[in-house]
Amino acid sequence: MEGQAAPARSVPRSSRLAAVIASYAVAAALGYLVGVKGVPPFGAGPTSPRRAALRVGRVLGQAEPQGPPEAWEALKSDVAVVREDWPPALGKVFDLVVAARGLRNGGKADWAEAQQLCRALKWPRCDQAALEDLRARSRP
Amino acid sequence: MTGAALRAVKWVVGPLVVAALAARLGQLRGEAARAGYFGGASAPAPADDDALRAAPLRAAGNATWALGSADSVKEIAKWELDRLAEADVDRRVQLLLRFGIVDTNPDGQAAIFGQVCVADPKVCDHLKDAAERETRTRLVSPGNHLPLFFLAGHPHVPSL
Repeated sequence: MEGQAAPARSVPRSSRLAAVIASYAVAAALGYLVGVKGVPPFGAGPTSPRRAALRVGRVLGQAEPQGPPEAWEALKSDVAVVREDWPPALGKVFDLVVAARGLRNGGKADWAEAQQLCRALKWPRCDQAALEDLRARSRP
Repeated sequence: MTGAALRAVKWVVGPLVVAALAARLGQLRGEAARAGYFGGASAPAPADDDALRAAPLRAAGNATWALGSADSVKEIAKWELDRLAEADVDRRVQLLLRFGIVDTNPDGQAAIFGQVCVADPKVCDHLKDAAERETRTRLVSPGNHLPLFFLAGHPHVPSL
């Protein structure tokens, strides 16, 4: 019995070491992925109004902002945070700029929404040409 | 430590600690990537930081000046003036000019243009030119032409 047990012990020792290393490597890889993807509790957390305004301001300052889809996705929550700070009477103006600049739409203007908001504000001109001018002029 | 406890540390606690540390590292990398969106990789200088934070309001103010009603222009200019940094004289002058241009009351206009003179005496010497520049960037009436205030013969705002 003892003669059989000795070789059986040495083989599992090396495979146990490999299993330990593998389990730690898998744990590290999974953990990193969870962190990068921002899965709770490793999410980005609530965005401060200051940071959100800074990022929205940076995009508004660019004529044709370019970013990956995840950047536009993140911008949506920044826009929502900035919007909260606006008084109700002026919130629609901000929404109009957001629609004309396409901040919630990957940079593509949402003319239908812009027109609707413009009319709700009772502005003198809400035609497409005027809104295209507004898009060009809505830079800081 | 018993064998069971050692095994628990090796197979459960250890991997969990490694996973948590790796997740934190991944979180930091993810945050750095998000901060770099739209060319924001480096931290802005304090002055740029202030300008960027004010940018949404400024952009909306400029859009309103281009197309908005007189009431909207006044409302957003007032709100921006309340929040404007003391040192931002150029923007203060611009907002006061816009406010004055769309104001329909001559006395109100005189008072507002008087504030322009207080904010920047240099602009006060060329008030009409400055107002004309602003009217050129407005696409709708009122405000896309010089107001009666600036017509010849009208008493000019005295320099303070």
